[in-house]
Amino acid sequence: MNRTVLLVGVIIAAVLVGVLFMGLGKNPAEIRSPLIGKAAPTFALRQVGTTNTIDISQFRGKPLVVNFWATWCGPCWEEHPVLVANARMLQPNVQFLGVVFQDQEDKILSFLAQRGSGYPTVVDEAGKTAIAYGVGGVPETYFIDADGVIVAKYNGPMNGDIIREHLQKVMRQ
Amino acid sequence: MTILAFVLLLQLQVPDAQQFVGPPKGQPLTGDALFQRTNEVGALLRCPVCQGMSVADSPAEMAVNMKNQVRELLARGYTEEQILEYFEKSYGQFVLLKPKSPVVWLLPVLALVLGLIVVFVKLKKLQQAPDPPTANRQPPTADDPYLARVRDLVSGEKS
Amino acid sequence: MIASLGRILILASLLAAAAGAILGFAAGRTRSADGLKWARRFAYLYSALIVGAALIMVYALLIHDFSVSYVAQVGSRSVPTWVTVVSLWSSLEGSILFWGMVMGLYIAAATFLTRGRYAEYQPDAIGVWLACAAFFSFLIAGPANPFHTVPNPPLDGPGPNPLLQNHILMAIHPPFLYLGYVGFVIPFGFACAALLKGRLGHNVLKPLRESLMLPWIFQSVAIMLGGWWAYEVLGWGGYWAWDPVENASLLPWLTATAALHSIMVVERRGILKGWTITLIQATFLLVILGTFMTRSGVFNSVHSFTQSAIGPTILGFLAAALLFTIALLAFRIDKLESEGRIEGAGSREAMFLLNNLIFVLLTFTVLIGTVFPLVVEAVKGKQMSVGRPYFDSMTVPLGALLLFLLGVGPALPWGRATKEQIKKALIPPVAGAVVFAALGYVLGVRAPWTLLTLAFGGYAAYVTLAQMFVPMFQRMKSGESLGTALIDGQLRRGRRRFASYIVHAAAVLAIIAIAVSSSNRQQLELHFTKGQTQQAGGYDVTFLGVEQRQEPHRLSTVGVFNVMQGGKQVARLEPNMNQYQMMREPIGTPDVHTTALRDFYISLSNVDARAETASITVFIAPMVVWIWLAVIAMAVGALFGLIPAMRRGVIPSAARDPLPGAAETA
Repeated sequence: MNRTVLLVGVIIAAVLVGVLFMGLGKNPAEIRSPLIGKAAPTFALRQVGTTNTIDISQFRGKPLVVNFWATWCGPCWEEHPVLVANARMLQPNVQFLGVVFQDQEDKILSFLAQRGSGYPTVVDEAGKTAIAYGVGGVPETYFIDADGVIVAKYNGPMNGDIIREHLQKVMRQ
Repeated sequence: MTILAFVLLLQLQVPDAQQFVGPPKGQPLTGDALFQRTNEVGALLRCPVCQGMSVADSPAEMAVNMKNQVRELLARGYTEEQILEYFEKSYGQFVLLKPKSPVVWLLPVLALVLGLIVVFVKLKKLQQAPDPPTANRQPPTADDPYLARVRDLVSGEKS
Repeated sequence: MIASLGRILILASLLAAAAGAILGFAAGRTRSADGLKWARRFAYLYSALIVGAALIMVYALLIHDFSVSYVAQVGSRSVPTWVTVVSLWSSLEGSILFWGMVMGLYIAAATFLTRGRYAEYQPDAIGVWLACAAFFSFLIAGPANPFHTVPNPPLDGPGPNPLLQNHILMAIHPPFLYLGYVGFVIPFGFACAALLKGRLGHNVLKPLRESLMLPWIFQSVAIMLGGWWAYEVLGWGGYWAWDPVENASLLPWLTATAALHSIMVVERRGILKGWTITLIQATFLLVILGTFMTRSGVFNSVHSFTQSAIGPTILGFLAAALLFTIALLAFRIDKLESEGRIEGAGSREAMFLLNNLIFVLLTFTVLIGTVFPLVVEAVKGKQMSVGRPYFDSMTVPLGALLLFLLGVGPALPWGRATKEQIKKALIPPVAGAVVFAALGYVLGVRAPWTLLTLAFGGYAAYVTLAQMFVPMFQRMKSGESLGTALIDGQLRRGRRRFASYIVHAAAVLAIIAIAVSSSNRQQLELHFTKGQTQQAGGYDVTFLGVEQRQEPHRLSTVGVFNVMQGGKQVARLEPNMNQYQMMREPIGTPDVHTTALRDFYISLSNVDARAETASITVFIAPMVVWIWLAVIAMAVGALFGLIPAMRRGVIPSAARDPLPGAAETA
């Protein structure tokens, strides 16, 4: 029996199959954020439909939920009512903020008019804020604590449980 | 232009690379050099919404935004290292198409060295092999299948 | 009804394959002629059943029977007929069924062509083929079932992915790929049989080589077609992005090419048997890996079909195949007796060893780059990417080395050679190197790697042409006419040899074309308003305006451009952005003007129909068309070499057959 062949073969097979097995079930398109535990990048953006500026640092002192979305994104339609309901329940102790990018002013306004808002929505014109936050797609939501540190990030549409779970993490800080 | 007007008017502030990597360390670029370098640096960044394409090549809006950001940073004098660091800080190592880990670069080199050793050893072994008896020696031209069949019949291996 | 019929055929094919596999392996142990006969019958039966099932699916697609789940998934009444046929392989379940069909055809053909011969190896080979076939039938019957019955069939379907309807190449690339991929199961069977018997006899080399060569030809063309499709359709101006699935198609091709070379050393010298067998096994294992990569959803890629139970099932098959192969090799490889030796390091045999080394290194590197992110994530939980910059840096030097060997290898004689002979063989082709490099420099090539590639290419071209035509001229010197020397000498008797040099010449052309088209590419970004003309690399480009074309499944916004050079019209190019009803981002299609010298390529990045403005990216790349043509020439050359040699006599004349062992140049 050729021991070298057996050894080399078994090592290659074990590594390959093991790694592939562990890759199963994971979504390769989901990127984990390196910003967790770091200070949330500051920004001051224009509120949609107005000429007001909203600066994120004005929300220091309480937990903040920043939700990146767009009107053309299907899952964003699903999660919007959840966000509005939670905002109604939790504000003013927890602040909610929506950031829209890659979208059109009139579409955003009509969406909000139809489906309700209840927390401020700002427009990120050239997507620079999204880049600074490492946003890959929409919807993506960041949970920031009272000191302005990003505690958690969730990719994809949220439901009540997910919001609660992540807010608990923020509260624990 | 309108955006510029808004920005000036409303003191808008978008998160800036400065927050992440400090002030620019290199020379601002313009014109052809800027175009060239935008593509070069863009080729090192991965588009987060595409399948593996670089920011330089991808037509997706996210990628175009990122490419514009690269162009702007280069125009302001940021170096390639700084720009890559900025994107790495917000997206993670995932966004770097050129892996930072030395392991993945060294493994092929290791394989080359090992392979050369194996080949060398095998070559030596084959050179020292005894001259095979003439009965087993195969003549070089094996093109003719008829000849091959005759040979096989003669040596007892029935096809 | 059709769905049920399909399911029955698939289940029957699974049973036939399983039974045939058992019979085959049993006949291999007992050497029973009867057992072999029955194994063969089951092989044909399996083939008929699976091909039948596939044809039924095509029928269901064509008559728009939406009660069949796969048809409901990809069928549509509003797409052209060719798209309907193509949708057989457009989505996961259908593509595995198509895989089964190709497998059935290959197994039937291989069973037929080996009738009455290779009795020693045939039973085990059939056993292996049918075992693999059984797995795929199991996959189709279970996790990847396209024949579910839809309880309330819809009236119409969504049609296949729009990206696949953009270009006719989508109809051709997958079949070629499957004819390559699936075909590698046949030599795998022979290789396993040789190991099971503990013998790699001279007689089985021919079917081994030929059954390896045919899928190799298809695979080469398939890879080229994939690149060509990416170039013509995706709009980023390139043809190879080292995407995991592109790599999946390349990996088995690399080991197969290595095996095709080392099998020549087995034929000539009776050595490197174990090595050759290992390469052939690796080829098929890489095929299974490739099919896992494409279908498991583990890899982020253009091709990924996402799945559920299919990934783990294929992984299970891969694990089983790996274990089987490793066990076979560990226990049997030492039984494959070496029948010869290598005379010296300066011999062609030694060059083949180096050739194999480089191909294996290339395979290893591409595999590492593709799998490394998964390893890191498994071990450290971190996400990282390995992209083009890595692969390009690693493969370019290896490719250059390969090109170098392409020249030096065939230049060196077989067997023992004196220093004088080696010098005589290796020095004259330097002239070729100098000519090609100089020519390149004069024509504008400045990149060092490309100049090096040209030099190596020129060297290899000299050697290849010399090997092709010098024997012919020698025959003419001894009195034969040009016609006889060419047709009788090269094309009839020396066919395999001549064909392999055609393949080499084409490979040299392809590598040079790839190098030159990348390093001498010009890229420009231009913004136009209607009627404006701008300069682009010596051409004048005028934006004539925007046209919008409404088609049933998409809205096409076309930018019309006129390309002129020196006052004369060169081309009218119409790159467009297609907005499909079912997709959010529009998909752009470029337009290319191809000439023998260069490609003028326009890709639309932005177009505004109202404001009548357009932003484009222009690529001007030399020699691109030669990449595609060279690969086609490689395929044709190799195919030519497969044509059986004419029978002229039992023993070729001694004058043409030098004594074995002496240094030769033939």
